[in-house]
Amino acid sequence: MTPPDVAAIFAVVLVFGVGSFIVLSSYNAVVALRQRIDKAWSNIDVVLKQRHDQLPNLVTAVRGLMTFERDTLTRVTEARSAYKPTAPIHDQAATSEATSAAIRSLFAVVERYPDIKAGANVLDLQDEIERLEGMISDRRELYNDQVYRFNTRITQVPGALLAPLFGWRPREFFAVEPGDAARPDTDLQ
Amino acid sequence: MEGSPSSWVTVLAAVGVAAGLILLARGLDGYRALVRVADTSTSPIETLAAGEVRVSGVVEPAELTLVSLLQSTPCVYYRSTIGNEGDSKGGDPGYTEERSIGFRIRDTSGSLRVFPRDARFDTPVRFEGETSLMGDEPPGLDIRRDGSTQPTEIDRATAEMALLTVQDPDDSSRRTWLRDRSGRHSYRETRLEAGDQVTIVGRALPFSDLADPSWADIGSGPDVLVDDPEVAADIAAARASGDLAHDASAAWGNAAIPGFGIGRPVAAPTIDPSANPLPLGDAIDAARAERIFDIAPETLVLAASPEVPLLIAHGAPGAVVQRGQTRFLVGLLGAVLAIASAMVFAVNLGGGLGR
Repeated sequence: MTPPDVAAIFAVVLVFGVGSFIVLSSYNAVVALRQRIDKAWSNIDVVLKQRHDQLPNLVTAVRGLMTFERDTLTRVTEARSAYKPTAPIHDQAATSEATSAAIRSLFAVVERYPDIKAGANVLDLQDEIERLEGMISDRRELYNDQVYRFNTRITQVPGALLAPLFGWRPREFFAVEPGDAARPDTDLQ
Repeated sequence: MEGSPSSWVTVLAAVGVAAGLILLARGLDGYRALVRVADTSTSPIETLAAGEVRVSGVVEPAELTLVSLLQSTPCVYYRSTIGNEGDSKGGDPGYTEERSIGFRIRDTSGSLRVFPRDARFDTPVRFEGETSLMGDEPPGLDIRRDGSTQPTEIDRATAEMALLTVQDPDDSSRRTWLRDRSGRHSYRETRLEAGDQVTIVGRALPFSDLADPSWADIGSGPDVLVDDPEVAADIAAARASGDLAHDASAAWGNAAIPGFGIGRPVAAPTIDPSANPLPLGDAIDAARAERIFDIAPETLVLAASPEVPLLIAHGAPGAVVQRGQTRFLVGLLGAVLAIASAMVFAVNLGGGLGR
């Protein structure tokens, strides 16, 4: 084997090595992204469950005093009962949005009842649920960002070449269709 | 063939292959870091969940800061290198010192404690220079004279005393072996300072899950394996002989008193009778000192773990990704250089060039 042959083999090995590194790195990156999406979803699910568990306490705390606001309380209760942890992400997003809207309506109504709002228990529950709403919002943003990165990676080279081989499909965002979004009830008449 | 053009071309080609492969290795390493930073979303600190996270914010010092070796600048990380220029026969291999210490990162939602042990740092060069031909040291060089750590919050009396104390540059007791080195040297220091924007990818975990917070808090220092039977026997012997104290107050004296040296001491220190003692701190001061040094067990902190290495990079995520891309491109150019050099090397060995 002559020196130019050795150099040619060296070049081929180097190019093949770099190419393999990029392909393997892309594969590992997509696998890691899928894990991150699953983790981000689990983190949302935990907070949705916490909010689900807290809502009965809030409804119970204000029910006796809000004699004329049954509709608002009913909307919160109905939204809570629609929560299904095993439902598709799109449905869970719609349920979560409806629950948040119902909670916002309830908080707006509570503002009209100083006696209720002044109660330490109601204040604590309101703070806790607002904290959970903030966490859901932040974690939804994080989840959607990870989904965006995953979907982008599997549609760009070299991910696009690997996607058919490994069955990678775009993941669903945690978002509601415009028509599904429940509008908060801000009627304070 | 010695000294002929072909021999020089052969040597240059060999150097080109080696340099190209080094650049390629660095580029691929940068690519891995780039993918990790680029594929992880930034989490707000306030709503952080345990697990692998990316946070971005500003460095805030914790209880202690480091003092950098070459410029005596307060920082939370430094890597200082003193190279030996033109004195290879002296047997001086140069000197590199790398240290880090725990700090906090703050974003718009809150702050988080970072334990930097085993972290990989990507920090900017803050100082670079070399001894001139006339033997003058580069401007800005201020080799550390005292300890490598200092309290973050220095009380007013200590600060005033430090300002009013005249430092004699020829004081032999304060000279260090680094200052006494002779010959020409090159200097290079990278640092991470309070106020720097950083991006960190690592594992968020409850503070109670850290096996040894003191160990995790200081990076790049010597590791003492206390569970090693030989080391344990040495420690026991040192305690028996009195070389090693049995508790903190015996070892550190006044420094073991909370608040001493960083505010008002909460217990009476032992001081010279002629000294003017500071008034003792009250319960509020004691609680404050405790808050500074104690972290609640459930509080999330950032640290390295075997599954999730800790990467601490200077700058916003976009800037870190851009640096990684540049390194990767340079690495690819390195591959091209290595291949081209190998071709030249082979052709030259085969008698194609210089003959």
